[in-house]
Amino acid sequence: MDLVDLIEEKRFVGQEFLTWLWWKSEERGGVVNLPGEGDIVVVFEKHMLLEYGEGESSEKLTCRGLQTELQEARTGLVMGKKLEQARIQLTFNDYEWNFTLAGALMEFRNVKLPKTEGDSGNTQNPEEREGMVLERIFLFEELERLILELFRLFLQIRVGEAWREELLKVREWVNRAERA
Amino acid sequence: MGFINGTASFVRFSVEGDLPENIWDFIADRVVAFSFRDIDETYEEDSLGWVSVFNMFDSEFNYASYAAGNYVTLSMRHDERKVSSAIVKKYVQKEEERVKKEKEIPKLSRSMRVEIKERIQNELMRKSLPVPAVYDLCWNLENSTLLFFSTNKKAQALLEDHFKESFGLTLMQQIPYLCGQHLLEEEDVDRLAGITADIFL
Repeated sequence: MDLVDLIEEKRFVGQEFLTWLWWKSEERGGVVNLPGEGDIVVVFEKHMLLEYGEGESSEKLTCRGLQTELQEARTGLVMGKKLEQARIQLTFNDYEWNFTLAGALMEFRNVKLPKTEGDSGNTQNPEEREGMVLERIFLFEELERLILELFRLFLQIRVGEAWREELLKVREWVNRAERA
Repeated sequence: MGFINGTASFVRFSVEGDLPENIWDFIADRVVAFSFRDIDETYEEDSLGWVSVFNMFDSEFNYASYAAGNYVTLSMRHDERKVSSAIVKKYVQKEEERVKKEKEIPKLSRSMRVEIKERIQNELMRKSLPVPAVYDLCWNLENSTLLFFSTNKKAQALLEDHFKESFGLTLMQQIPYLCGQHLLEEEDVDRLAGITADIFL
């Protein structure tokens, strides 16, 4: 299968991950335990994009607001829409990233890296400049690594026996939005 | 932008294919061979090539190296001459009127109109200044992965072509499904191939 078909056919994998991650983070008040790594704080905030249907007939729903106001997005899930984009704050080992994750293609958008003591990049010293570049690379790759570890956690459940039970919990959480 | 400072958007690619043993010599050779060539003083329509992530005018990497640890950091610069269709339309009409008057004819033939349009388009293109666009990348040689700092599909297509041409290696965008194939054990990869979308309500 070529990449274009694969993207279309497997779009749901990334979108389901994003929805699962939202549920998973709310399950323990914003904390997700990553085996072998410890607790990661994952907070969904401010901005979400949900979509329904495919191609030209697809509908999009944008929700903005603070965490408590994301009720509308949860109601969107009840209507069968899928979470395609979310603004996330992720904290791990004293580092805090803010970024938008687009589910279908796993694109990282408007990534704000953790603040560090490093230089802003205006230095003329080649060694300092290389150090600054390597630090930024580390922070980008660390974010990517953490998201991929969370994704691995999701996939292991998603392809296994435990998924039925997990799905019931997610559905219960989604349906609570309808009753709220 | 965004790799060196500020907020950034990026997508992940895997780099498929083998590099020769003398990796850094090979890369040095190819980066220079496929570096950016300026078209400010020429009439070329566009130009695409590698420049330093620190300075888009540095295509010889005198100011800063592209190597950082086990990473190659480069910017892909694309300069393009563009003329808006409204401008082309205006000047084509103007020229058509002028030719009609000069030749004292009420209507131009199809071939004359085609010739005028092509000539005007070329003239306007030559007059327009090349618009630059710069996209950063960071290539991890150890894991054969690459972060490309743009979510623009056209830029991604240009990157895939220019990277292949420069290094003979293929870039494969790591969409979630393909990431999953790398993350899971073999038997789970088979199961992943079989899953279908679930309903969350």
